[in-house]
Amino acid sequence: MITPYLSGCLSSQNKMNKSGYFEAEFGIDEKICRKLLETALLKGGDFADLFFEHTISNVLVLEDGKVNQSYGNIDLGVGIRTVKDDQVGYGFTQVLTEESMLSAARTAASLVNASATPIKEQFSTPEIGDYYPLSTFLNEFPISSKLPVMQGINAKCFELSDFIRKVTVVFQDEMKRIMIVTSDGVKAEDLVPGNFCAASVLAEKDGKIESGGWEYGGHRDFSWYDLKLIEKLSNEAVDRTLIKFEATQPPAGEMPVVLGSGITGVLLHEAIGHGMEADFNRKNISIYSTMIGKKVAEPFVTIIDDGTIPNLSGSINVDDEGTPGEKTVLVENGILTGYLHDKISARYYDVEPTGNGRRQSYQYMPFPRMRNTYMMPGNASPDDVIRQVKNGIYVSDVSNGEVYIGQGDFSFYVSQGFRIENGKLTAPIKDINIMGNGPKMLENITMAANDLSMYHGGAGFCGKENQGVKVSFGLPTCLVKSMTVGGTSQEGGVS
Amino acid sequence: MNQEMKNLCKWIISTAEKNGAKECKATIYKNRNVDVRYRQQKPEIIKESTTQGLSLEIYIDGKYSSQSNPDLRKKTLGDFISKAIDNTRYLEEDPYRYLPDPQYYEGRSGVDLQILDPSYQNLSAEQRHHMAKDIEDACIEKGGERLISTQAEFSDRITELFIMSNNSFVGESEGTRFGAEVSLTIQDIGDRKSEGLLFVSSRMLDNFPAAEEIAGIVSRDAYQQLGSKKIKTEKLPVIIQNRNVTRLLSGLLSAMNGQNLQQKSSFLLDKKNQVIGNNLLTLIDNPLIARGLGSRSFDSDGFPCKERIMIDEGILRDYYIDWYYSRKLECEPTTGSSSNLIIPPGERSVESIMKDLDRGILITGMIGGNSNSTTGDFSFGIFGQLFDRGKPVQPVAEMNIADNHLQFWNKLTEIGNDPWKYSSWQLPSLVFKDIVVSGA
Repeated sequence: MITPYLSGCLSSQNKMNKSGYFEAEFGIDEKICRKLLETALLKGGDFADLFFEHTISNVLVLEDGKVNQSYGNIDLGVGIRTVKDDQVGYGFTQVLTEESMLSAARTAASLVNASATPIKEQFSTPEIGDYYPLSTFLNEFPISSKLPVMQGINAKCFELSDFIRKVTVVFQDEMKRIMIVTSDGVKAEDLVPGNFCAASVLAEKDGKIESGGWEYGGHRDFSWYDLKLIEKLSNEAVDRTLIKFEATQPPAGEMPVVLGSGITGVLLHEAIGHGMEADFNRKNISIYSTMIGKKVAEPFVTIIDDGTIPNLSGSINVDDEGTPGEKTVLVENGILTGYLHDKISARYYDVEPTGNGRRQSYQYMPFPRMRNTYMMPGNASPDDVIRQVKNGIYVSDVSNGEVYIGQGDFSFYVSQGFRIENGKLTAPIKDINIMGNGPKMLENITMAANDLSMYHGGAGFCGKENQGVKVSFGLPTCLVKSMTVGGTSQEGGVS
Repeated sequence: MNQEMKNLCKWIISTAEKNGAKECKATIYKNRNVDVRYRQQKPEIIKESTTQGLSLEIYIDGKYSSQSNPDLRKKTLGDFISKAIDNTRYLEEDPYRYLPDPQYYEGRSGVDLQILDPSYQNLSAEQRHHMAKDIEDACIEKGGERLISTQAEFSDRITELFIMSNNSFVGESEGTRFGAEVSLTIQDIGDRKSEGLLFVSSRMLDNFPAAEEIAGIVSRDAYQQLGSKKIKTEKLPVIIQNRNVTRLLSGLLSAMNGQNLQQKSSFLLDKKNQVIGNNLLTLIDNPLIARGLGSRSFDSDGFPCKERIMIDEGILRDYYIDWYYSRKLECEPTTGSSSNLIIPPGERSVESIMKDLDRGILITGMIGGNSNSTTGDFSFGIFGQLFDRGKPVQPVAEMNIADNHLQFWNKLTEIGNDPWKYSSWQLPSLVFKDIVVSGA
């Protein structure tokens, strides 16, 4: 039997449909949308939009062997935006009554003081993809069906090693419904699943304690969390923890860095992705503001931001301004080709929006944001790449990336990797920071392997303008000929 | 909070009990936020909102869940509560999950924390625009010829909170917060731009820094980084500027947290009453400071707040342990999280300290990095100013520092006299010796 879990006011016939939800459940029809948009543009402005959202999310936690914590949340509201050039008026309400929504529209309209701007007579729905098809409605799965997944991971982690002392498993899932209606005549709706399962383990060996973990997720169907995934996640979490007992910190300083494939793509996200978000360039505060059309990397380097990869965390059928998700090339054969646009920057640059207008929720206005950012593979094998390095490091797991847009300086934390000595992986390393400069790093990518893989997690968030959106990234194994590696050792000594 | 909301809270508790919750706690909140951002001497963003919500904690025979909902209409809440309780029953039993003994709620301080600015209600739209505009104007003036862009956002918020449990806890609070987020970008060499970025907050508008003070800090930060580059890896004394101490201290605090202690993922496990840093290091948690950004009279468990010396002259004296983890650890609870954190300031200014040091780095910004709460290892990207006997030598960037907390805090050699006022963590600049700063 399926027991609805905080399923709010969903009626069964509408659960899997992408369209018609807000009208059926909350009476939000085109007439009221038109009235709200007219109010938002009552004092003028270039355009206005409405962003309706209803999200139901749940988090379950297993700690000390028991699934003993549950946290549920409901988000419901509409954000109303009025735009004049690069100026934005924004109001939102959690109450979907006409009176409350009109009040939010009047707040948005307070930005300008001119005569009313008319809105388009007809709304049309853009053709959008289906990058996260669902066979089941996640919110409808009872806790009892998620428990075996979490308990299975707990049991498996303990089974894998006698050194494991603690296991924590977190299962998060959400179903987000959105509807965007714009004064330029777009009406788009979507149903966005989001979920992840994370395992953290703590191990004790010879009096030393180490912790680690891994997670898998994205826009997934519940059927994805099967026995195979339980096994894979448990193995990753345990292996990534146990290897730390052997790990040391490398000598600090400048050295060649080989980035392993997959999650290390966070480097692209920080080194180039943020700098290519068009709002920073429109304001001329990005280091890339003056580089369009210029050579920024070797000819084998092509970097893409892609919202259309099935089930990845950064994929979007439609962005939060009503523009369909698409694939946008940032660097093509070493040449910087274009920025990531929302509607405001697209108008400024007189180009089409690229489907990068994203926001955390109805409480926030959209900005240009990345989706899934990756570099195309090269021809070499991963071993060929490693063989190029006499003395450097190999990075296999990273987190906590951050960038200063103007300088282009970025940083990310290497939780795991290896030293490379004479072209071979040797001692494991852990807990170091790497710093670099975006344009310099791009110039310094001298080799790429043929093993592009994407990060298949669901807990990766990118922060900007005090809001977070889900993203993913990918990279083939590649060689950066020089970066600054942190560490406690100075030329091999101990500080 | 108005009586209607208090009555609603009572109704929620009563409805939860009727539906089978043995114990429950309900929190109702209301926020009003206004943000005004200026750029190019005109409003770039005007945002206004009112939010509200319920957070309901449910305990049934050791089964626990917490559910949130912004919809406070009784007609939908009834169904929400009933479903939340039904689903709590599916969880596994945990013998440590129950509300605190009511005796722990007793003894709340009657001190007036002054966290509500009475002038808030009179703050007009024009004043909000002036606040943001004045900061941007001051930044333009200080930005000089190299200025590319500056923006200033002024925000204000009023929060009302009412909490009630079915085992006699009742608490309410109302507070204001004013904030500014300001950035200033100037042209550096080639395509490179240098940025200054600042966040400031205060409880009261009359404590809010002047526009000129804010502009002075962001423009100084931007100009100090002009021409920055990495230098060779070197072991040096470093001064971590007051605003940047937070990132380092967070790593220490996460290891003092009850959950990490109980899960054994803390390098401070079994270190209570032991030396963990130089005797210059004292850390005080004081939730009862008038106008403090972290001030509160009760914590998330409902326990009365009081001043605690967490680290006393280098000796770890206390942990942050909430009710639930105190049951699992079989100890008395303290409090679950930090409030206002204070490192008592020293005697001298950063400038004066720099004059007495030979070659060193003043760290004015940190970027990325992480701190491992299990092992105490940390590593952060840094930028700042290389100096020699107080004189600037070279702005530095693209560099890292890394160490282990248990060694690092023993390298503390002096504390500046400049606690940062515009945050709940009022931390002064700290001086450390023999730190490997990695670069070229």
